[in-house]
Amino acid sequence: MDCGTALGKIIAKADGLLPRQEEAELAEHLAGCPSCAADDAATVATGPVLRALAGIRAKEKAPALDAMWTRVRAGIEESRGTRRRASWIARWAWIPAAIALAASALLFYPARTNRSPFHPTSFDVAFEDVESDASTVALVDKGEDLPRVIWIIEDAKS
Amino acid sequence: MPNPDLRGRVGAPAIFILLLLLLTAALPAEAADTVTVDVGAVYASNEGTSIDPALGTIRTKLRSMFNYTSYRMLDRKRRTLSVGETGEFELPGGRSMRATPLPAQGDKVRLSIRISEGPKNLLTTTLGLRRGGMVLVGGPPHQTGVLILIISAE
Repeated sequence: MDCGTALGKIIAKADGLLPRQEEAELAEHLAGCPSCAADDAATVATGPVLRALAGIRAKEKAPALDAMWTRVRAGIEESRGTRRRASWIARWAWIPAAIALAASALLFYPARTNRSPFHPTSFDVAFEDVESDASTVALVDKGEDLPRVIWIIEDAKS
Repeated sequence: MPNPDLRGRVGAPAIFILLLLLLTAALPAEAADTVTVDVGAVYASNEGTSIDPALGTIRTKLRSMFNYTSYRMLDRKRRTLSVGETGEFELPGGRSMRATPLPAQGDKVRLSIRISEGPKNLLTTTLGLRRGGMVLVGGPPHQTGVLILIISAE
């Protein structure tokens, strides 16, 4: 195995992608090649170093992250509270609307039923004057419990 | 994204205003200085024996007053008019009626009525009746029968 092939396999081993048989061949090469062995050692050490570095950075940023998370949580809680209040209004809004509808129905309904169909309360009518330019007009009065009538006779047709 | 807080703030006043509008609209509906004139155009004939249920309690009175066998409501119009205001009612057969409430006292209503057919003045009269009262104006020929107008004022 040459050093170029060995370097590819060193990287594959660090990524956990190297088959066992090839790992044995690589070990054999590393045992006889100090340069590749040094590369392998450096590659193996990179992972823990990166993890340590990330840990250090996380520790540095932890107070800022905590403060940010606290703010985010407070915002979520506030939004939930507002939504609860809004949904309460939406849930019960039909009650005043229903009361308003019922009130308007009570106010308007009796008057409307009185008007349609015809239910007169009086036939007491006074005729101050009755005139016609084109017809003969007759006043008909058949009694107090019957409507008074103005009868128009057009050209003696009715 | 809709603002739920804004929705809550707008909802309650909107309902309150709706209630207020309904109440204020209902209260002055029957103001004393206005008259609601109701005009029904009835076609009376001897074709058939049906009597329109829309005529209400006046049906039996029509039968006892006239010799027609059939009464059918052709049209009905209602206008609320102020004293001095003239309302025009279109009638079947190209006729029209103009009604003007005149000043009156108590529960009395005075109505100036003018019925015309084109340029012809069929009737000019001034009626005095109680609110809720009724008068009939009949006679103008219509199809094979006559037209009877039911005029009531409230």
